[in-house]
Amino acid sequence: MIQNEMSRRRLLGLGVGLGAAASLTLAGCGGGSATKSGGTASGNGGKDYTGPKVSLNLWNGFTGGDGDIFKKLVEQFNSEHQNIAVAVNTYRWEDYYSKLPGAVSSGSGPDIAVMHMDQLATFAARGVITELDDVAKALELSEGDFAPTVWKGGIYNNKRYGIPLDMHPLGFYYNKAVMQKAGLDPNKPPTDKDEFTAALTELKKSGVQGFWISPFQFTGGMTFYSLLHQWGGTLFDADVAKATFNSDPAVEACTWLVDLIKQGHSPANVGQDADYLALKSGKNAFNFNGIWQINDIAKDPNAQIGVAEVPQIGSQKAVWANSHNFTIVKQRSADNNKVSGAKVFINWLSEHSLDWAKGGQVPARKQVRESAEFKGIKDVSTLAPELEYAAFPPAAPGLGEVLTTFYTSFNEAALGKKSPKQALDDGVAKANKQLEDNRKKYGS
Amino acid sequence: MADVIEVGAAHRDAPPPAGSKTRGGATNRGSRATPYLFLAPYLVLFGVFGLLPIIFGLWLSVHQWDLQLPNRPFVGLDNYKDLFDSDSAIYGDWWSSVRATGIFTVFSVPLLVAVPLGLALLLNRSFPGRTFFRAVYFAPYVLGVAVIGLLWRFLLDANLGLVNRLLGAVGLPSDTPWVTDVPWAWVSLVGVTVWWTSGFNAVIYLAGLQDISPELYEAARMDGANGWQRFRNVTLPGLRPVMLFVLTTTILASANVFGQSYLITQGAPGQQTRTVVWRIVDEGLRDNDAGRAAAMSIIFALALIVISIVNFRFFRFRED
Amino acid sequence: MTTLRRSGRYAVLVLLALVFLIPLLWMVITSVKTYGDAQRIPPSIVPNPFSTHGYDQILGNTANPVLRWFLNSMLAATLHALLVLVTASMAAYALARMRFRGRGLLFALIVGTLFIPPTSLIIPNFVIADRLGWLDTLLVITVPGAASAFGVFFLRQFFISIPAELEEAAVLDGANQWQIFVRVLLPLSKPALATLAVLSFLTNWNDFLWPLYVLFSPERLTLPTGLGLLQGSYNTDYPVIMAGAVLASVPVLILFVAAQRHIIQGVSRSGLKG
Repeated sequence: MIQNEMSRRRLLGLGVGLGAAASLTLAGCGGGSATKSGGTASGNGGKDYTGPKVSLNLWNGFTGGDGDIFKKLVEQFNSEHQNIAVAVNTYRWEDYYSKLPGAVSSGSGPDIAVMHMDQLATFAARGVITELDDVAKALELSEGDFAPTVWKGGIYNNKRYGIPLDMHPLGFYYNKAVMQKAGLDPNKPPTDKDEFTAALTELKKSGVQGFWISPFQFTGGMTFYSLLHQWGGTLFDADVAKATFNSDPAVEACTWLVDLIKQGHSPANVGQDADYLALKSGKNAFNFNGIWQINDIAKDPNAQIGVAEVPQIGSQKAVWANSHNFTIVKQRSADNNKVSGAKVFINWLSEHSLDWAKGGQVPARKQVRESAEFKGIKDVSTLAPELEYAAFPPAAPGLGEVLTTFYTSFNEAALGKKSPKQALDDGVAKANKQLEDNRKKYGS
Repeated sequence: MADVIEVGAAHRDAPPPAGSKTRGGATNRGSRATPYLFLAPYLVLFGVFGLLPIIFGLWLSVHQWDLQLPNRPFVGLDNYKDLFDSDSAIYGDWWSSVRATGIFTVFSVPLLVAVPLGLALLLNRSFPGRTFFRAVYFAPYVLGVAVIGLLWRFLLDANLGLVNRLLGAVGLPSDTPWVTDVPWAWVSLVGVTVWWTSGFNAVIYLAGLQDISPELYEAARMDGANGWQRFRNVTLPGLRPVMLFVLTTTILASANVFGQSYLITQGAPGQQTRTVVWRIVDEGLRDNDAGRAAAMSIIFALALIVISIVNFRFFRFRED
Repeated sequence: MTTLRRSGRYAVLVLLALVFLIPLLWMVITSVKTYGDAQRIPPSIVPNPFSTHGYDQILGNTANPVLRWFLNSMLAATLHALLVLVTASMAAYALARMRFRGRGLLFALIVGTLFIPPTSLIIPNFVIADRLGWLDTLLVITVPGAASAFGVFFLRQFFISIPAELEEAAVLDGANQWQIFVRVLLPLSKPALATLAVLSFLTNWNDFLWPLYVLFSPERLTLPTGLGLLQGSYNTDYPVIMAGAVLASVPVLILFVAAQRHIIQGVSRSGLKG
């Protein structure tokens, strides 16, 4: 199925980054060039660039409205900087990660690439991207500025490979009109298991299947990912050596979801995106979906869709999340002018980071998250507290295909092809073999 | 392979008397270099993009090969062994994809050979509006798989799609899981493919039908043959080479199925509709194991060669 | 009797046409909907409101150079088809009409590769294209696929079916092989050549996987890969894609209508075969 959770979705989370990038002048570029050219200083941390004209290539996966915003900012940047020309290449995420290695190995790749945190280890292990420890140091970035999981997610083998820009968790979307029709208070979305199931019962009485369980990664798989952690489970053990998503909590969480179908709160055989389209059309009431949908909902002025933190169904709060990172791609031949230009670009972009937050994303950097201006962006800041308990994927090379196995297991359970226990047991057996293969291949 | 050669050899092994011009036979005119001059442009292409990739693919298949990793160790037949070892991580996925491609091919090929033939027969005779109908049946083919995949996923959605809605409107079951459960997913994938590509095969049949002499039909008619008999005794034999061509290209196209299941069923349920080509592309490009992907390709290609030989033997077409 | 049969034929034709047309009609309807309307459940049959949003995005938004993608695809598919015709017909002629050392082996090799799925060679081909410096160029989507085993096989079979007697007159006139090939054989082979040209053109036109991995610059994409880009992530803007598909398919359909006479009716070889 889809290779990693980001695939096929444009994450509004627009790497851009917001605060994260703020102040961070990707001096990082220096990291790459240092190894090749003896560490000559490239630029002054991105404040300006006075050398000959350089052309920079930046790749991202922002194929939606976020991409338009991004391109507009780049145009503005280019018009303000006569000697730096940034060209943006955008691909869908599912194509992006298959396309990048070939492009890089052939020398047609980008100078700067946006990546998800769970992809960093794979690309780092394969030598596609450059270490950025010196960047973080030069920018005086520290763990305290970030959510710990996000900060650690950029690290592989004790080295930093990505500078986190944002985080994009799952949110809870509810249709106010449908709730009202069922006699529920549209301003009080359920926050825990009892309220949630009570609301579903009321909805059922009014003839609405309230919470559609999609069997696909988007969004049923990510919902299960969240609940598995809420029940106290994990996908892998601490060293990412063994898969653990068939533990008792995992099986219970999966069973709870699948039972909603049996109890008639969801139709069977929900198709890709059908859960969300049904929410927008008032066919169901609740949907756990990515923060990127905030922008989509805003497109329809008549939509009565509310956004809240994902309810706590299990014994603790937890929610699926991922993060966009800036990475510097290793080039066949290093060019310090390009590196300096890249720094200026990133520096400039970070100064415009609040424009990004308005597009619907949570800045990774605490300082920006806590600013009054960010708090003024209503729906996005509503989801910001989730950062504290978000369950990010671990950093391990080759994890993409293992996560596919996890989502496939859920697909089989949700479609009733196997019992939850059977589906997850089978998935773990296969995932463990894949992890073993990865260990051999990447030698960790 | 041997039999394929035999097909070509059928007329070659009967050398014509010197100077005579046997029908379809090889004659020798011009200098000794002439044949090679004629062949040269093709052979350059064939060498670089036909043979070289195969040899390179064989080489890849005995290595653990990654576009990025500098270390690409020789692993002997390990890549092949993994595909047949039920303890390997890839075993289940691989055979499930083989099964998926097999099911799709077995059900789509007969339809893609028969339905277009029916269309071609309908469209062969001259009548007002013929060009319009030809264009209509051909129209879906000019759309790329990205568009038809998206279109049909939306139309076939079990709970929201137009197809179930229309079925419900005429009193048929309206909750068929067209894209999320088997066998319905196969019905959808095969059906969409027939809809998408029939027009193309029909055009090839139409070209073939032009080559059948009207006099043959006339003669059959004078012998008192009815429509079915004329079809059996004149049309079918006359179409034999074209049919072999359609059959061969269709088997290959069906065996290469990727976009339809990638976009419409997304492999669901589980990985049951995930096909061989999808598996190969994922393995080689996404999971960066070009060696294993190459091993899969080679087994896949060998299987197709065997199938094609059977296919040729069945038709045993010769010039006469 | 004949009228009955004729109306029966039309009934079948129309019924089938509906099956083929309804999904396409749906595509056209969707292309004039608004973003929100296209996602409405249950779907609206008549666009409400009617909107040119999709076409505006396709034609007016410079981020989506659909016209450029269309021209790229046209150019690549045309050059590709020409290359196949020239190389395959020459090779097929030699294989069908000439005797030379290694002919059997060569033909077997070519036929053998016929059954190797081109998709499975994507990685070796990628590396070769890279070494040639062809990545992200027109060449890479035009040339590699033109090593057409199909073309050679198909044309050879066709050439063999043409009686050699027809070439005799030319030989007596003192024509050389090239002249016989160009003046006698090719004109007699128009239907086969047209069929092969259309097949090659459309195969190239519809190719998705290969261009996806070998083209990088937005302005160099082909139509299918470009339209694929429009198919965003979570929220697909159906009207935009459908508008793009409508705009792109109309010219090809017109081409088809114009060409099908040649392909199908071009040269009737009846009388030669009898």
